[in-house]
Amino acid sequence: MTTLNAPEAAVVEGLDALPDFTTEAYKDAYSRINAIVIEGEQEAHDNYISLGSLIPDQKDELAKLARMEMKHMKGFTSCGRNLGVEADMVFAKKFFEPLHGNFQAALKEGKVVTCLLIQALLIEAFAISAYHIYIPVADPFARKITEGVVKDEYTHLNYGQEWLKANFEASKDELFEANKANLPLIRSMLEEVASDAAVLHMEKEDLIEDFLIAYQEALGEIGFTSRDIARMAAAALAV
Amino acid sequence: MFGLIGHSTSFDAARRKAMELGFDHIADGDLDVWCSAPPQLVEHVEISSPTGTTIKGAYIDSCFVPEMLSRFKTARRKVLNAMELAQKKGINITALGGFTSIIFENFNLLQHQTVRSTTLEWQRFTTGNTHTAWVICRQVENNAPTLGIDLKTAKVAVVGATGDIGSAVCRWLSARTGVGELLLVARQQQPLLDLQAQIGGGRILTLDEALPEADVVVWVASMPRTLEIDQASLRKPCLMIDGGYPKNLDTKVAGGGIHVLKGGIVEFCKDIGWTMMQIAEMEKPQRQMFACFAEAMLLEFERCHTNFSWGRNNITLEKMDFIGAASVRHGFSTLNLNPSAQAAAA
Ligand SMILES: NC(=O)C1=CN([C@@H]2O[C@H](COP(=O)(O)OP(=O)(O)OC[C@H]3O[C@@H](n4cnc5c(N)ncnc54)[C@H](OP(=O)(O)O)[C@@H]3O)[C@@H](O)[C@H]2O)C=CC1
Ligand SMILES: [Fe+2]
Ligand SMILES: [Fe+2]
Repeated sequence: MTTLNAPEAAVVEGLDALPDFTTEAYKDAYSRINAIVIEGEQEAHDNYISLGSLIPDQKDELAKLARMEMKHMKGFTSCGRNLGVEADMVFAKKFFEPLHGNFQAALKEGKVVTCLLIQALLIEAFAISAYHIYIPVADPFARKITEGVVKDEYTHLNYGQEWLKANFEASKDELFEANKANLPLIRSMLEEVASDAAVLHMEKEDLIEDFLIAYQEALGEIGFTSRDIARMAAAALAV
Repeated sequence: MFGLIGHSTSFDAARRKAMELGFDHIADGDLDVWCSAPPQLVEHVEISSPTGTTIKGAYIDSCFVPEMLSRFKTARRKVLNAMELAQKKGINITALGGFTSIIFENFNLLQHQTVRSTTLEWQRFTTGNTHTAWVICRQVENNAPTLGIDLKTAKVAVVGATGDIGSAVCRWLSARTGVGELLLVARQQQPLLDLQAQIGGGRILTLDEALPEADVVVWVASMPRTLEIDQASLRKPCLMIDGGYPKNLDTKVAGGGIHVLKGGIVEFCKDIGWTMMQIAEMEKPQRQMFACFAEAMLLEFERCHTNFSWGRNNITLEKMDFIGAASVRHGFSTLNLNPSAQAAAA
């Protein structure tokens, strides 16, 4: 016999309701979230171009990914315009600064594995989870655009995954290292957007879990054991 | 491959298990941390049936704990994400264990077939309720005589009679076992009347009315925590099959001619090299498991890759026959009262 009351179905209505896109509160939160997304796409573009210099034989392929990111950036810029919101780019630049710094440092040292982990795993998994959670609560215009974008991001995640899988043994130690240094940054970024995201009806809990699902799946594909993965991911859960 | 989606019986138990597995960071986390923890495929197993067939399986912990039941969205996400993981791992047939199937039904997850970029294929999942219902019926048939209860004349109360498992139990007991009288207990009247018409008998009673009359009580409802049973008013002997989840009826009544048996539990004929049944607090975790889990194994043994138990009130006698025969053939037996209970009754 159960000691807890059975969950009742009655409470379900209204939980997935859309936010009111016209309120000042929504637009205010959107000015930062939209900026983060635009800046994120810009960073992604620049990072793939940079990666092309580290992996010269993949330069063309990486340039192709970079072009997709540019297209995403333009798409999201139009989402803000459509709602009459001006993106707070100063905020977004600061938001990405630590991760940006780590990428640039690794780039200087020619650490391709670290660069791939930051861009093709962490940033892509972050984008995939955020876009998936945004789609059901987005305004119709933004929804269409985001649906198109999220498909591309899987291609990008897959790119990093395949490269690291092919070079798994040689990359393993650096991946552990890079995970340790960068996953906590992603976690703090999630914390930082949580309250604005909530205004858009995106919950922190969902964002973290979905991010971890995408990231863990990629780590598994690359070749890590489930125990390794749980250990690596723990850095994102612990605050 | 078969799959089992399970969860710990409490937040505390989940943390202990995580610690044991070496996931210290998660183990230390508070409930919010657990709410964001993705499902984990924690264990692979291989099982051979006495028929010589060998199957492979996987245990997935959804990272759900009963403390999350009040958080509707969290509970829903835990179940859907665990199902997505099972499907992505290519598992043919996965049982929704513990609260998973209840959440699935009561939160209407059929509406959420798309999880991110995955479309869930329902035929890969089973609630396991057909096997659970069959096992509970066999437990009634096996153990009532042990206590000197003659089922032909006995009154059998089914608490949760109109539920998926309860209604199947009622159909089987009236059609196959032939009990003296069925006492039908649930809160809503109309489903009770429908059931009564369907099985052509049974008396509709409240819980308080039914208990003092019953020689056997089958509990297959989610009862409020505050439920109290007046032990003095019960018949002696009385066989109580605790088919709910978690199983703690024995903390409310026991002894003095009241025999509580954990319902819907089966035992495999040999040890299975897994560790995860410990979290279900089985007495013999190497062999014992929920019947709903065993259903996924049976369907894999039988290469019957379909959502065998699905929805509500779809369990037929034919389906119970099929899964029951498979259960016996592949080396499962139902949990029975221990010998000391029998001695006390004698
Ligand atoms: N192997 C195992 O041990 C398994 C155990 N279970 C357990 O079995 C139980 C039943 O599962 P299932 O058949 O799927 O559930 P359902 O939701 O289909 O049925 C629940 C039944 O209980 C009745 N009920 C609920 N609350 C009360 C109450 N307070 N008093 C009287 N009747 C009540 C309901 O009717 P009404 O709402 O009208 O009262 C209904 O008849 C659950 O507790 C579940 O956890 C499930 C699967 C496997
Ligand atoms: Fe992008
Ligand atoms: Fe991308």
